Amino acid sequence: MFNPSKSKLRYQLVLEGSWPTAVAFLGAGRLAAGNQLGQIFVWNLPEKPPEFKVEPKAERQAPNVWPVRRLDGHTNEISRLVATPDGKHIASASYDRTLRLWPTGALAAGKAEVVLDEDARKRAARRIGKKEPSNDPGVTVETQTACKVLEGHKEWVYALGISRDGTRLISGDAASNVIVWAVDSQKQVAKWTGHSWNWIVAASLSPDGKTALVSENRYKRDDFDVPAPGLKLWDAATGKETLDLMKVQFPKLNTADRTYGGSQLWRKFVAAGLIATAYSPDGKLVAAGQGGETDTGIVHILDAATGKLVRDMSAHKEGITDLLFSSDGKHLVTAGRDTTVRISRVEDGKEVAVLGSPRGGQFKDWFSAVALSPDERFLAATDIAGLVHVWEFEG
Amino acid sequence: MSHAQSHLSRRALMKGMLATAGGGMVMNWGGLTGSAALAAEVRKQKKHCIYLFMNGGASQLETFDMKPGRPTGGPFRPIDTNVTGVKVCELMPYMAKQMDKVAVIRSMRTSEVDHPGGIHLMHTGYRASANVRFPEIGAIVAKYQGTVGADLPDFVKVSTVGSSGSGFLGPKYLPFGIGSDGNLPTFAVSNMDATKEAKRHDLRAFVDNQFATETKSEVAKMHIEGYEAARRLQKGRTAFKIDAEWDKYKELYGDSEFGRRCLLARKLVESGVAFIEVGQSSYDTHSDNATGHRGLLPPMEQAWAGLLTDLKDRGLLEKTLVVWAGEIGRTPYINNRAGRDHYVRCWSTALAGCGIKGGQAYGMSDENGIDVKENPVPEGDFFATIYKALSIDPTTENYAGLRPVPLAPFGSKVVKALLG
Repeated sequence: MFNPSKSKLRYQLVLEGSWPTAVAFLGAGRLAAGNQLGQIFVWNLPEKPPEFKVEPKAERQAPNVWPVRRLDGHTNEISRLVATPDGKHIASASYDRTLRLWPTGALAAGKAEVVLDEDARKRAARRIGKKEPSNDPGVTVETQTACKVLEGHKEWVYALGISRDGTRLISGDAASNVIVWAVDSQKQVAKWTGHSWNWIVAASLSPDGKTALVSENRYKRDDFDVPAPGLKLWDAATGKETLDLMKVQFPKLNTADRTYGGSQLWRKFVAAGLIATAYSPDGKLVAAGQGGETDTGIVHILDAATGKLVRDMSAHKEGITDLLFSSDGKHLVTAGRDTTVRISRVEDGKEVAVLGSPRGGQFKDWFSAVALSPDERFLAATDIAGLVHVWEFEG
Repeated sequence: MSHAQSHLSRRALMKGMLATAGGGMVMNWGGLTGSAALAAEVRKQKKHCIYLFMNGGASQLETFDMKPGRPTGGPFRPIDTNVTGVKVCELMPYMAKQMDKVAVIRSMRTSEVDHPGGIHLMHTGYRASANVRFPEIGAIVAKYQGTVGADLPDFVKVSTVGSSGSGFLGPKYLPFGIGSDGNLPTFAVSNMDATKEAKRHDLRAFVDNQFATETKSEVAKMHIEGYEAARRLQKGRTAFKIDAEWDKYKELYGDSEFGRRCLLARKLVESGVAFIEVGQSSYDTHSDNATGHRGLLPPMEQAWAGLLTDLKDRGLLEKTLVVWAGEIGRTPYINNRAGRDHYVRCWSTALAGCGIKGGQAYGMSDENGIDVKENPVPEGDFFATIYKALSIDPTTENYAGLRPVPLAPFGSKVVKALLG
């Protein structure tokens, strides 16, 4: 049972040079994280972390472990990573307009030397007055190219979700296309399009895989040309709309409206976009969280049957970047632009734990993604400062 | 001898002052007696200018000067255009097919890094001064390419910024502002019965003319001219009505407010308006630069491409200069808000039509886009080139009181390579 009351930062994995953007656990002690370059690295975390002494006032609070493998194939930012429940596959979505399905047990294609502490080397060079950072050897990792490429999107793929049993994927792109995929055959099961002016910024499948929760949003086209966003439930087999959640909140919403005045109706609810979504494990609730640079990153919890707002929770100081439910559905975990992971009770919205801390000032990096290990003993969060933080719960 | 004194002459002094009946001196709105003949000569060219102004500062790295694979590159990728060797951002597929008409300047280096200063600079060619109220380019083009006694204003601004207005050229060349939807403001249309309005007008004109004649007041004359212009606008106001035509042009310009504004600009050119500025807001992407540009660029570039096509198809592009610029560029390096900040050391603008030699990228930035590597273009040269394309001599002087002020700052050079 997930018990977040007591936690300890076990690792701070170094992933510098390109912002870490996505993270997923492949099983107990196995972790993958992607970055803006499109690389995915895999770590095998030892059961017992290496000896580490925390220096006074040092930023680093936990030891590093280098990755063992790099998954090569994507050519642009990794937007989301998800793993199948058995840990045998990891799926990645990318701005290179593809999804890739990686068998985690595949043989290595080769080896490569990688430098993942680029920023630390630059800082060290500056300290001693050198212009160029050290060119000492990096670390050697295995490389993997074996994967299935899922093609069908013609624009950046922002959204990726997986059904609870791991048999279906859902993805959404910046051309408003949504595709449901069968994992075993890598074939498209259903495909539909949201409002043509919107981007699909988040998508999740219900636990039984039958319903899709899709969030549509786009940046304004001008201060006076602000297309309405969408948050809807769809039949995942047919692509038919089953419930317009925005309409439930705002019955007067005109989905074809793009005026500044019209945007005032939904602006507070959506803020800069509901960029992360999830179904509760029992399928009764859905969550949609405000992302972007907003004053508060609120997560709306809605009744999946009626669309009615149950409660708002998990107010980050800036927008959220990712969210998930614990497997018992009792807790909501969110990562945000305030460099924290916040864990809140779903039943009353009370925040029960905060991991990480704001770095001071308004704009000090952010946590870009969060993942729980299958046994829910570990939580990982990617940090654009070039780290993957891994906490262990000691419940 | 001061710099200002060195340019003074008796002729200039006489131009710079107007005597009143009481013997006092009044402001000379740009030298009223001076360049009328020149303006008349230039006016015969009947050239127009449409200024597409990207308020907030569009990113050169997400438009015309991409750095794929470099640390400054960002997530967008370049695409080929109809000009071999010239690539643009993937967000600009419509403009990619129009690049044979466009000259991109990849080496802008300007002198005002913040919005108010940059807006002034990129509307006037000058840094703001406490002593001189410089006119915007629209007022200058209105003066030299405007139509005397036309029903429509010579200088129209649609949903845009810039507060310099006509500066020392005086109220005759003030911009006529239109809102974001491209419709005339409600006060522009008289709801009064025509006979009643005519009677009122006759009475008001009588009083105004008497006053202006007795006082020999230039300001009073300007007021009369302004009123007459507003009345003439009633006749030409159909040019502002685009709703009925929008369905026909929606596909060409893209279904956006900016598209509607660009269609309006074309209609106004067709109706004889000398200068139209069309604005798009919100480019100040200090955070989430990629998201912002993904939102803003597609409607803008489709409308811009539609405008070029429409002007070309109607035979108007040869006489219409289309300028694309903002007040600043954006930093090569991406900050920890995923944004790009203000940058003027090296950025991009673009020109098309009216004798501009399209199909070229002028100037060059270095590998990371940090500095200009070849052919820097400061604001003065940018404006001098624009004036030259519009058949207006950029060294022409107007007078701010006693001070002669050239259209483009002293020493500015026309970038000849940009002209065909």
